[in-house]
Amino acid sequence: MEINDGEEEEFEFSRNYFLAKELAGSGKKSTRKISDINVVDEQELRAAAANIELKHEKEINSLVNSYKSLYPKWVFELRCGFGLLMYGFGSKKVLIEDFASTALTEYSVVVINGYLQSINLKQVVIALAEIWWEELKTKRRTSSGVSSKFQQPFNSQSMDDLLAFLHESDVEENDSFVCIVVHNIDGPGLRDSESQQYLARLASCSHIRIVASIDNVNAPLLWDKKMVHTQFNWFWYHVPTFAPYNVEGIFFPLILAHSSTAQSAKTAAIVLQSLTPNAQSVFKILAEYQLSHPDEEGMPVDALYTTARERFLVSSQVTLNSHLTEFKDHELVKTRRHSDGQDCLHIPLAADALEKLLSEINQ
Amino acid sequence: MAPSATASESLSPSTTVDTTENNLQPFFVLHRARSRKSEKKPTGTWKTRRRIDLSPSLPKNGENLDAEKAEAWDDCRHVSIRMEAFDDVWSKIKSTIKDVLRDVNTNVFNEIHHWVRESFNMITSFAIPTFPEATGSFPMVTDAASKQLFTGLVLTKNMEFVDDLLTFEELGSYLKSQGCHVANLSSLEFSVKNGIGGCLRSLLRQFLMVTVDAADVSILATWYREQGSCNYPVVIIIEDMERCSGSVLSDFILMLSEWVLKIPVVLIMGVATTLDAPKSILQSNALHHLCPCKFILGTPPERMDAVVEAVLVKQCSGFGISHKVAVFMRNYFVSQDGTITSFIRALKCFQIACAQHFFMEPLSFMLWFLLGDDNLMLQGEKCGLSPELMLKHALNLPSYQSYGRNKIAKQHGETLVNGLAELKKLQCQWSIVILCLYEAGKCDKVTLLDLFCEALDPESFKSRAPDNGGGLENDSGVSSSDCYKHQQYHTTRNSGFICQAVRKLRDLPAVQLRKLLKGWEKYTVNVPQIHDKVKKLLSEMKFEDGKSLGQDLSTISKRHSSRKHLKIEDSKAVNEKAAKLLESMVRNYMQPLECVPFHEIVCFKNVNALQTALIGDPRRRIQVDLLDVRNIIRCSCCISSSNSLLPSMHDSSIMYTLAQEHGDLINLHDWYQSFKSIVICLSNKGKHGSNYSPSLKKRKATTEPAKPSEASIQARFCRAVTELQITGLLRMPSKRRPDYVQRVAFGL
Repeated sequence: MEINDGEEEEFEFSRNYFLAKELAGSGKKSTRKISDINVVDEQELRAAAANIELKHEKEINSLVNSYKSLYPKWVFELRCGFGLLMYGFGSKKVLIEDFASTALTEYSVVVINGYLQSINLKQVVIALAEIWWEELKTKRRTSSGVSSKFQQPFNSQSMDDLLAFLHESDVEENDSFVCIVVHNIDGPGLRDSESQQYLARLASCSHIRIVASIDNVNAPLLWDKKMVHTQFNWFWYHVPTFAPYNVEGIFFPLILAHSSTAQSAKTAAIVLQSLTPNAQSVFKILAEYQLSHPDEEGMPVDALYTTARERFLVSSQVTLNSHLTEFKDHELVKTRRHSDGQDCLHIPLAADALEKLLSEINQ
Repeated sequence: MAPSATASESLSPSTTVDTTENNLQPFFVLHRARSRKSEKKPTGTWKTRRRIDLSPSLPKNGENLDAEKAEAWDDCRHVSIRMEAFDDVWSKIKSTIKDVLRDVNTNVFNEIHHWVRESFNMITSFAIPTFPEATGSFPMVTDAASKQLFTGLVLTKNMEFVDDLLTFEELGSYLKSQGCHVANLSSLEFSVKNGIGGCLRSLLRQFLMVTVDAADVSILATWYREQGSCNYPVVIIIEDMERCSGSVLSDFILMLSEWVLKIPVVLIMGVATTLDAPKSILQSNALHHLCPCKFILGTPPERMDAVVEAVLVKQCSGFGISHKVAVFMRNYFVSQDGTITSFIRALKCFQIACAQHFFMEPLSFMLWFLLGDDNLMLQGEKCGLSPELMLKHALNLPSYQSYGRNKIAKQHGETLVNGLAELKKLQCQWSIVILCLYEAGKCDKVTLLDLFCEALDPESFKSRAPDNGGGLENDSGVSSSDCYKHQQYHTTRNSGFICQAVRKLRDLPAVQLRKLLKGWEKYTVNVPQIHDKVKKLLSEMKFEDGKSLGQDLSTISKRHSSRKHLKIEDSKAVNEKAAKLLESMVRNYMQPLECVPFHEIVCFKNVNALQTALIGDPRRRIQVDLLDVRNIIRCSCCISSSNSLLPSMHDSSIMYTLAQEHGDLINLHDWYQSFKSIVICLSNKGKHGSNYSPSLKKRKATTEPAKPSEASIQARFCRAVTELQITGLLRMPSKRRPDYVQRVAFGL
């Protein structure tokens, strides 16, 4: 019965996939370009993006508020040793932080912003160890002397030692822990398997509890069964908020601002302006050739050398090569093999972008 | 769960501290722990307050029970009581499971230990390092024969190594208890990135309790020589060989084989696939240093049944699960984990079940009573519940309303205690019958889990109840209309596992039957009614045996054949009787938990809660969020129209709905235009917008001046794309296809 359901689902999925494929291939595939949209100036676009008014603010607030009744339940589950995993559309940052600061006041809370590009987990673990150390000290001052074999400073200790310290089981009181909140545990800075392994090991420490959020539909693929069942010990919660991903989306390029020709020409111009005038002129030769021979693969290397030498821009093949290396490093120029076996140089920009670029460096 | 009082405070971004700076920190400390609550012991003042709270609400007699419930049970004191109860029960379950699983593997563990000792003796018989040899920081030079590394390949027969983590942990501690030096390594330590240093560091950590930056095997050798007793081997357990990097593992093996005379290492590797696995993973020069030996762990179904028996059937925790939950759990094993049942799943299911149960059922603290703590009222007092309130709550339980009323006399106070005692008794009988069935079904490969699920089904119990007329076999005789109605149960019963077990009983050979009855005799000690019958059957069997034996001795061979025939007839009669007995047991004593009054206190029923907590389905749910936004937000502006897109809807939702009409590639320009037309159509044409079909994506945007500016529409478009990118439902334009985004999900 269940197996049939599974097959049905599988079938449904593949059918959808092929329908979608068919739709794409059904002749009138649109060939319009982004540049056909009259994209406003980037500055203006960013200003507008910063001022988008929130729809349904009232409803969203009451939706988020309705989750408040779940707080005691969440605390209970954390205390039982589970990790909470929040998913559903919308930013859950405010929700989780509100939960942590109202319902988890008895525990220290450390927040990791997983949506950032790079996160040093070692630093996080050191901070956690320091917090836990202080809590132990205050606790043991009342009961007995400090007996831990772990000493500060934590900075110089290895990850294994730190995790062992957080996992130390000879603490009398079981129900005390430090809570870590991980926004976007599937975020770009944490997406590699090493980070996930560390997070999983961290989550399995006896004095650590984890509350995390995911936004990517494929986030569960980050974990194997060991991580899910024995380390993170997830308790799933579907809590859509529909709140805007203001902070989470901060590092995502605006799709209309980024891909326009203006953008790529601009970056190329910035790179070129930092090069010597001679190098700029060599690039200009290349650009002009490409504009006048739009159908060719690119400019042959020896043709470029001849022209550049004629104009007293380079004195030898070596100087030209050093310029070319510079261009290639900045992806201003690419090499293509011509049909007759000759190496050709080619600027990976569209004609209009190239014209724009030329006009900019001629100024 | 009624919304708590705190819900009235609004949660707006302003309530949280200004965290703009924190938002860009990789991590930050939100707050430090407040000084711990000092209400470990219940205080007098608290109790009186609770009493005062409750007394006025009592006379209302359950009118607003829900509201009352919410305030009465939602107390933090209560939570900590339940927390204690959870800890109690869960630790009990956990240790039970651990014991059971250890028992399953005891024989293998012994075998392994025996082999380890033998291997150790072999190693020491090759050569014993002289003093200068032993103290030198290099391996001993010997012939190739003594470079053999004894390797135990433990076949786990499991697809998921997660099941075996506990087993290897247990094996480690078992060998430790026998004096061996044991280290457990996992495949993580055998990564290409860390190389051989990674595993060495881990070994040094585990043996020497130090972290060394420059890990060297000579340190290990020195440690082994210096720790005194060199009479014990060093055992290194690698949990999941197949997941290790082959080259690192090969290097590791080569290194160990060089040093094996100084550090008498015995290797134990968990192998999930077949014995060929080392051949395909290891390099050949490492391979010929191995001297393998095979061990087989208990199969997953065996382990599963052992866990089910200890935890669910024998009810070590005192509480049970409903039929639906049981079926869900079983299906979860079967369909999610493939054919291999991972008990870790069960373990987790149960853990969740416990936690949920203790949270949702106010009277669940009464479990203590069932666990043997007889002073129920005292427990109630401890939780701040007056006996009246407890009773009132209990009498309102639906199970009491439907089953209990006629059976139990309505004597206040006594009712609850009696009811619970009855519950305990019935549960005990129920589990005995299951065990007897399992004993019979075992010969036919019926798993306990299947039997368990079937035995919990209240419907089939009702239909086979004595006053319904039919026994198990009479079922086919019910009238056709009735048959139609109960078809589902009917079919499950005739082909069901209980029936299968009973059928198996009828053609069981005498020897097995006697063994089986002996087993029953053991199980039923506490239920004299059944016990006597089993005993009677046994004595009948003995008598017959004696009779036939005597006759066989006295009679001559010519009558042998007829005698034999007779004997078969006789034993068939016993079989029949045993089957009849089992049937009557099923009929009379196997009352599912859900048919017993007050079962709500100990029975976990909420299958949905379990399912959502256990299986998050982000792929589907996030898409549903986007496509079905109005049902979640419930705003007045969007709910009115049926299915069309309205500009007032959430931008990302509009965009994702539009995306459904594209193929696997979405042209950004078209997408933008259709988004734009949706967003501005209402402001131009009023209600007309609802008549539009969103599929007209080529529709030209009207050029009339619209309210939202071009810039703001573009900004909203950009943000919606970003949001969809965050959810992973879109793949961004590539260099090859700069004007298209790619859809990732097709269908829910």
